[in-house]
Amino acid sequence: MKRVLALGAIVGSMAAALALLLLRVPLLPSPASAEAQPIDRLFGLLAVIAAIIFAIVTGFLLYALVAFRRRTAADEGRPLHGHAGLEALWTLVPLAIVIGLGIQGGRVLRDITRPAGGGDALEVRVQGLQYAWLFEYPDLGIRSTELRLPAGRPVLLRLTARDVIHSFWVPEFRVKQDAVPGMETRLKVTPTRVGEYQLACAEVCGVGHSFMRAKVVVLEPEVFREWAAGQVAQATVAPGAPQVEQPVVTAPGGGLHAHTVAGTR
Amino acid sequence: MTDVVIAAPRPAARLALNRLGLWLFFLSESMIFLILLTTRFYLRLERPPELNQVLGLAITSILLLSSLTAFRAEAAMAHGDRRAFLRHTLATMVLGVLFLLGVVGFEWREAPHMGISVQAGYGIAFFSMTGMHALHVLSGVLLLLMVYLNGRRGAYSPASYWGVEATVKYWHFVDVVWVFFYPALYLVS
Amino acid sequence: MRILSLGLVRGLLAGLAGFAAGAGVTALARAVSGLPAWSAAPAAAVGTLTGLVAYLLAAGVFTDWIAWARGAEASDPRHGPAHGPGWTRYFNPDPSHKVIGIQYTVASLVLFVIAGIMALLMRLELTRPGLQVLSPQTYNTAVGLHGIVMIAAILVGIAGPINYLVPLMIGARDMAFPRLNALSFWLVPPGALLVVTSLFTGGFNTGWTGYPPLGARDPLGAQFFYSGVFLVGLSSILGAINFLTTIFRMRAPGMTLFRLPIFVWATLATALISLTATQFIAMAFLMVVLERLLGMGFFDPAKGGNPILFQHVFWFYSHPAVYVFVLPGLGIISELLPVFARKPLFGYKWVALSSVAIAVMGFFVWGHHMFTAGLERPLIVPFMITTLLVAVPTGVKFFSWLATLWEGRLSFETPMLFVLGAIVIFLVGGLTGMPNGIVPTDLALQDTWWVVAHLHHTMYGGFVFPFLAAVYFWFPKVTGRMYSERLGKWHFWLMLVGVFLTTLPQFRIGLLGMRRRVADYDAALGFEPAQLGTTVGGLLVGLGTILFLINLVRSARRGPLAAPNPWRSRSPEWQLCSPPPEENYAAPPVVVGGPYDYGVAGSAYVRLAERPATGALTTGATGGR
Ligand code: HEA
Ligand code: HEA
Ligand code: CUA
Ligand SMILES: [Cu+2]
Repeated sequence: MKRVLALGAIVGSMAAALALLLLRVPLLPSPASAEAQPIDRLFGLLAVIAAIIFAIVTGFLLYALVAFRRRTAADEGRPLHGHAGLEALWTLVPLAIVIGLGIQGGRVLRDITRPAGGGDALEVRVQGLQYAWLFEYPDLGIRSTELRLPAGRPVLLRLTARDVIHSFWVPEFRVKQDAVPGMETRLKVTPTRVGEYQLACAEVCGVGHSFMRAKVVVLEPEVFREWAAGQVAQATVAPGAPQVEQPVVTAPGGGLHAHTVAGTR
Repeated sequence: MTDVVIAAPRPAARLALNRLGLWLFFLSESMIFLILLTTRFYLRLERPPELNQVLGLAITSILLLSSLTAFRAEAAMAHGDRRAFLRHTLATMVLGVLFLLGVVGFEWREAPHMGISVQAGYGIAFFSMTGMHALHVLSGVLLLLMVYLNGRRGAYSPASYWGVEATVKYWHFVDVVWVFFYPALYLVS
Repeated sequence: MRILSLGLVRGLLAGLAGFAAGAGVTALARAVSGLPAWSAAPAAAVGTLTGLVAYLLAAGVFTDWIAWARGAEASDPRHGPAHGPGWTRYFNPDPSHKVIGIQYTVASLVLFVIAGIMALLMRLELTRPGLQVLSPQTYNTAVGLHGIVMIAAILVGIAGPINYLVPLMIGARDMAFPRLNALSFWLVPPGALLVVTSLFTGGFNTGWTGYPPLGARDPLGAQFFYSGVFLVGLSSILGAINFLTTIFRMRAPGMTLFRLPIFVWATLATALISLTATQFIAMAFLMVVLERLLGMGFFDPAKGGNPILFQHVFWFYSHPAVYVFVLPGLGIISELLPVFARKPLFGYKWVALSSVAIAVMGFFVWGHHMFTAGLERPLIVPFMITTLLVAVPTGVKFFSWLATLWEGRLSFETPMLFVLGAIVIFLVGGLTGMPNGIVPTDLALQDTWWVVAHLHHTMYGGFVFPFLAAVYFWFPKVTGRMYSERLGKWHFWLMLVGVFLTTLPQFRIGLLGMRRRVADYDAALGFEPAQLGTTVGGLLVGLGTILFLINLVRSARRGPLAAPNPWRSRSPEWQLCSPPPEENYAAPPVVVGGPYDYGVAGSAYVRLAERPATGALTTGATGGR
């Protein structure tokens, strides 16, 4: 009994300390999309569960290291072979936790992928290529190498890739989606915080992968509208006209060049 | 250090080991064909209507027939009938070579004229599946040749003919693979 | 002694010559058929094939088989070097499972050092932002090589203890197919050589996963990488056939399935995976090579292919493979804990069956590597559920280990320290796998250094630490000499601190946005201190490894002679002298009880005929038949 109490105290305090640490220290970049909130809550839940399980196992180990040391060379332990009840316990409890996590994960997934109602979403076509991103707003007739988005409105990104696989990722938005040649993948994000972010290609795509970034700017809706209007007025090319010039990527130190590095075979 | 020769398991035990090993090998090999089969369907490749159905049926029949002769070769050896064993082994080899000629000699030559290219579309599946299978038939023919030569020298007896058994089983295995490949390539669209 | 009497040297020289010949013939054939004579890719492909055949022939791997194919009586495999001193047998094809086990173990350490040097190269580049030492191309190659050579080190590393121990543990004389076993090992050196050659032939950019379309467009190095992996895979398939046949058919009398040492169960589960899944990575890589060489567009959407297909085929192996890495390790943990706790393994049957459960469930989770990749929508949630379920049988192992310690009498020699370290490190790896397995959180984590940290934890805890524990534990059995405890403890602490120092910063910056496989990162992100931590961690591991190698070499030559059974283990191999005799047991041992009845008075596990037992354990003959 004394043993169980001591053990409980060790495990309990370790779990509490660890969970507090994980929840208090900001571990993720500050969120900037509506999708980030449920995801971050899920991270929090996982942190607590992980802290508890970690404390149970390591707390027990620490206790055993001290309490069950061998004293004399010929010392033998108590021959316990097993215990059906305990086995059932530590099969069923993790099973329950894991199913619970699965359900919760499924719910959050449904929430963050639910299509925006009523054609409300802003559609952006995103094309990844070695080593740049191109954005096209089919409804507005704009093309750009920067992704500008209005705050508070769901955006439906329709991703394709010209050459190899790339991956669209803005850490502050949390969500990520590969752009795959030959197919269209979709990603819904709802930016919530005005500001400048960095889009970084998350799937290795060649020598310029490190530098395949693009600027993402989230604007107040009015500012976005002004920008869009300005772009349309400026644009001399109508949508459907020749492709945007293949951008040249310059990399610090490398002087990489889209034409010289693509498809080095 | 001196040479140590370690007594191997007794013949009966040895045979049991060999058999289990062979079946595990088949299990492992069948995965290769499963992958090719899956690839063919995952890519939803369209079968071109011009495919030479007569040839397909012909080579399939040849291969099935060869399984029969292979079976009789093994049975003959089990009964100690060396002449029949050699005859049937030879027949199996000839049928195997005919199959190879049919696939590699005719089909592969004809295919590009029917719009089946190695590089794209249905041809990817067609060439990779028939190619991988042909490679196995070829190795089967070589094994049969080895068994044939050894058999002629009198290396096998009803009491000990593992080489024959293994080769014939391998031959059946390769045939069974074709039983799955044939409809996937020629019948389903 | 002539250097050419070493099969390895002969083989490698012949392999080089064969490669040159194959490449030359290809050029000739091309010239004759009116193509431009020199084209590196096909020449290298043919050269690889001819080089491999020449290597195997010259090394002598096929000698017996050729004789057999030409009608010679199937002879018993010959053991021991035909001529030359005893150590030369380790450099020649030798059918003895004990020789092969040592060959595998040493090869694994060599590969670990090579891959570790690649890691240090990467660390050199990443410690500070900006490009300093490596070009992005070299960096990418270093990442891929580091990953794949480490993975090869694992595949080879598990085969070491398995080969050495399984026949001894089940009371067999050798593996079922000793010559095939030798072939499995001898495929490893050319495989490793080919993979490393990629560094000098243009490199490859894909990382160890080799995804097309990038992999299909990469320089020639990629072709060497793919072919090298192919050979290592073949080796592991052939090994699995051997392990399974041996375990199923060559157990000593009385060695029922539920009396098998737990390590044998782990081997069984592992071999089932290797046997049926390895074809998938082999075929995935073969298809890319065919796309590169012949333009077959398996993965090229313009030609009717699909890049996602590759990922399915690749991960159908490569996820189960992680359980290949880890199951033998977990088996070693379960094997050693009872010895050092002087207690029965708690819940033996559950631990044994959980290995099989993990192996089987491992086949249904591969999609979790593709959550952001364009995986078919309806499959996402099912893959999430199956992934999470694997935690249950893994948990059974953890809790059984803890219960094994309860009321035990623990002692803390080096193997035990590595076992305890393994438990903690693998626990962190497993728990950090959970957020990967849950789709919404994985959307943030995929392709970040969080995953990098997760994989290092699982592999360090699931393979490296248990493997090192095994090396220390069985060192006196293999060499007859004792290693140095003092160096062993230094090694352990350096490794433990080094691993956490490597991975904790990786977790941290992974969450903050550090992407995988980048040669450079934005200085503004403030990752520099974390990157420095990782580098220092890697150096500590390197230092520990050097101490370890010194310990091995010195102790094998000059260590104090070890008692036959210094750990008072009940396992049959410890009842033999050290090193064990060439033929293992004079007669098959008879199994009369359970394997882990530590502390049960008068219990016995095996009874050996003739050769005297070491006393401590095989006293009473109770509980027999
Ligand atoms: C030894 C190797 C090994 C092992 C054992 C594991 C084990 C697990 N892995 Fe890991 N994994 C890798 C090696 C390994 N992994 C590698 C190499 C990669 C990267 C590949 C690449 O390069 O892309 C990877 C990547 C990877 C991904 C893809 C990440 C991404 O790219 O986005 C995922 C996603 O689900 C994942 C999940 C898991 C899970 C759920 C487990 C589980 O099996 C873990 C189960 C264990 C525990 C959970 C701890 C013990 C359990 C208890 C104490 C019981 C109680 C626990 C609970 C109730 C939670 N792993
Ligand atoms: C068993 C597996 C294993 C092990 C042990 C390690 C060990 C290490 N790993 Fe590795 N790692 C992987 C498997 C492993 N890794 C895999 C699979 C990947 C993914 C690859 C990919 O993305 O494609 C990866 C990726 C990976 C990355 C991510 C790269 C990126 O995405 O950009 C990094 C970055 O720091 C890293 C670092 C390290 C370090 C510092 C160590 C250190 O712990 C290593 C320390 C070891 C040594 C330093 C060698 C010791 C020996 C000597 C130095 C002896 C000296 C010589 C003589 C005596 C002759 N690893
Ligand atoms: Cu595009 Cu990485
Ligand atoms: Cu996985």
